[in-house]
Amino acid sequence: MQNDWTPLVGLIWLAGAWLRLRRQARFYQIEEYMSRRYLRWLLAARSRWLPPRQVAIGLLGVALAASADHPYDSLAGGLFALLAVYPKPQGKIKKPLVMTARVKRILAVAHIVCALPIVGVWAAGAPSPAIGGVGLAVWLLAPGWLAMSNWLLTPLDAIAKRRFLRQAAVVLAQTQPKIIGITGSYGKTTTKSFLRDILSLRYQVYATPKSYNTLMGVSLAINRDLADDYRTEIFISEMGAYVPGEIARICQLTPPDIAIITEVGPQHLERFGSLETVQKAKYELVANLPPDGVAVFNWDNAYIRAMHERGYPATRLTVSRELSLAEARAQGVTWLAQDIRESLDGLSFCAIDVASGETAQIATRLHGDHNVTNLLLCIAVARREAIPLRDIARRVRSLQPAENRLVRETTAAGITIINDAYSANPKGVISALKLLGMHREGARLLITPGMVELGALQEGENRKLGMLAAEYATDIILVGESQTAPILRGIEATAFDRAHVHVVDSLEQSIAWYQRHLRAGDAVLFLNDLPDTY
Amino acid sequence: MSSRRSAVAVLFGGRSVEHDVSIVTGQQIMAAFPADRYETVPVYITRDGRWVTGAPLRHLNNFRDDALLEKPGIEACLLSPDTRHHGLLINPLAGRFSRSRVQRIDVVFPALHGSHGEDGSLQGLLELADIPYIGCATLGSALGNDKIMTKLALRQAGLPVLDDMWVAREAWAAAPDAIVAQIRDRFDFPIFIKPACLGSSIGIGRASDEALLRASIDVAASFDRRILVEPALTDSVEINCAVMGYGDEYEASPLEQPLGWDDFLSYDDKYMRGAEGMKSADRIIPAPIDDELAARIQALSIAAFQAVDGRGIARIDYLARPQAGEVYLNEINTMPGSLAFYLWHEAGYSRAQVLERLVQLGRAAHADKRRNTYDYPTSLVSIASQRGSKGVKRKG
Repeated sequence: MQNDWTPLVGLIWLAGAWLRLRRQARFYQIEEYMSRRYLRWLLAARSRWLPPRQVAIGLLGVALAASADHPYDSLAGGLFALLAVYPKPQGKIKKPLVMTARVKRILAVAHIVCALPIVGVWAAGAPSPAIGGVGLAVWLLAPGWLAMSNWLLTPLDAIAKRRFLRQAAVVLAQTQPKIIGITGSYGKTTTKSFLRDILSLRYQVYATPKSYNTLMGVSLAINRDLADDYRTEIFISEMGAYVPGEIARICQLTPPDIAIITEVGPQHLERFGSLETVQKAKYELVANLPPDGVAVFNWDNAYIRAMHERGYPATRLTVSRELSLAEARAQGVTWLAQDIRESLDGLSFCAIDVASGETAQIATRLHGDHNVTNLLLCIAVARREAIPLRDIARRVRSLQPAENRLVRETTAAGITIINDAYSANPKGVISALKLLGMHREGARLLITPGMVELGALQEGENRKLGMLAAEYATDIILVGESQTAPILRGIEATAFDRAHVHVVDSLEQSIAWYQRHLRAGDAVLFLNDLPDTY
Repeated sequence: MSSRRSAVAVLFGGRSVEHDVSIVTGQQIMAAFPADRYETVPVYITRDGRWVTGAPLRHLNNFRDDALLEKPGIEACLLSPDTRHHGLLINPLAGRFSRSRVQRIDVVFPALHGSHGEDGSLQGLLELADIPYIGCATLGSALGNDKIMTKLALRQAGLPVLDDMWVAREAWAAAPDAIVAQIRDRFDFPIFIKPACLGSSIGIGRASDEALLRASIDVAASFDRRILVEPALTDSVEINCAVMGYGDEYEASPLEQPLGWDDFLSYDDKYMRGAEGMKSADRIIPAPIDDELAARIQALSIAAFQAVDGRGIARIDYLARPQAGEVYLNEINTMPGSLAFYLWHEAGYSRAQVLERLVQLGRAAHADKRRNTYDYPTSLVSIASQRGSKGVKRKG
């Protein structure tokens, strides 16, 4: 039997469900709206999908409503519904829900989907307990409604995405800048920021911010930063890829005039499968150049050399830091770094234009051999764009390392901190360890959780990391016992004193250790994916 | 960038007595840009200072039509000082049913003569807009446009100019007799009287007695607040030389000797000889003077151009007594009529080549400016705002 109070039960459950939708949307967003990943996360803990207290109260309410007479059935049902759905405090939120257009769409549809069953049973004349039961079910299933709404919106999202891409293309067309595409397994972001700073000597340059390197990331950058900006002469587009075909799609949006390939290496190998696939994916950038375009290759990488040998386009520039001048001449390399030195103050080397013989002494605060290659790639492009070598050299002197990429600083306590927390890779690791090794006074501590996402190579590379660490560090802290086991095996293969190796569970413990044991003059290297607050 | 044509806005007309000459210069420039690499955008500034753009502005004949601005295709526009626009705002006061839009411009070519175009005012706007442009910057344009300041700068640079004095309109109104006495005391007749900032020959008088002197100053004072007075160089010829360049790369053209003047060139002589403007005025090229003097004038031209921080192009006018080997710099035109194409033609430049060189110079100057730092990091604002908030607290 329905009465005046009956709708109250449904309304309370509906309000509760809506609130739960909003809270769950935050996690759905963190999982990038991938329903499978989100549901997997949800099902991993029962309290997430079946909160026991609320379910118990809700069921109690339904039972009471079923046993009471009207109007008390509705009142009891409503009261218990209110108790059940009354929101718990959420605790500390690291990343709040960002109200994007997409979230708004999903929530709007989910609100309606939630309301349908409740309104349906009410309209069918069902009594309070039935409405309460349906309400509880709707409330419980909120994560499912999110996934379902998202699925329902798939065609609409595709249209929105296409429109977004088209808008980005229109924005680019209004200024028609020269487009420089940069890809590679690593070194992309660093090379991009160096190149932007150098080309800005003469041109109005825009580079995609941070690591925006997916199709949607690049178009977001264009729509957000370049709409209504008609100045841009050069657009630098960083192109990343997890699967073949991705770079080709970015090239459709930002057709490159110049392509730069920094490195081909085992980064993200887990997703690619083999280095040959990585090479194929990166070559898409070169293949999308017009015939009069310019490709710039890192000659020191065999996979990239192979790209060069494919002979497209006609203008191909190459840089090397490993060849001698005679070899460079013989192999037709365009730019060469010679006499590379690294001290605690940074790198210095001599950049040589092999064909013309033009040279410049380059000095920079940057560290790591790989940065010599990154700089040479930038120099090759900047010279091609008619910036005098002397001006380039002057600009390079004041370049800053990108955030968390081999940054060296000294704390108030006199301890030198080397931060290389961003996406460590086998080559970067060597540079970082060498830098640590340059600190000849005091202890040299390495803190690392090891390298990840290297696929089949991961075990071997981490073992190598261990052997190298033994060479350059005096103390080693490994974070996470199981994942660092290969590193430990590497260390044990050397004569390194096992008493100087510590395995801890968390970063906090390692920090505590170094704060207790290190003093002025000592150095510590943070390697890979650690927060930048230390 | 490589694949795309450069958009060149050609500005002509203007609030100037040389409005019509500028229209002719503008048409010549638009016709001469190679169409495969440049897309010209005509921008016409009316006599009363309205800005319009559109295809009908590409035809000289349309300017005979009083209803030009009502023609289809004509739209209001303005050059935006907002650096993000980097060009023209077209239809800026769009209403409900129309849209305003931005036309990106790569290079601006101010083909404007005289006031509000050649005097640095427009160049100031172009500096704000941060768009490369052809010709002198604000300082060079302003110096070249003001005959008094031109001579001060040239004299200071040790270059030969005739003696002169200048009179302010207020001083003339207050004590004409004293000023006449001063002039007669200093110079012998004949004497030239010139408004400081007027192009061509408008308002210029040549006085051979006191009555004419007074009348000429009255005329000049109706055109400008400041009046230049200098002795006329008798038995002299006029020699012109054009200069192009920027930085440390300048070149001077062959010389010309304009003909057909009685006492001096009148406006009609200078520009009204035909639709092609200056080109068909009667002249001798190269000027019939000996090589040594010609070389000296060319060297002087470059030195004078540098003395006023010149860039791009200028035509520099001289008074000379070839027999005596005497030569005096007379004036600097930082946007000469027809760009002195006829002189560059003698030097082996086609019109297109002159324009391309000028674009190149404008771009080089702009790139140079980019090397200056404008964005010196300072914490002034944050300090000030902290102080501000403290003040608020104290009051609260």
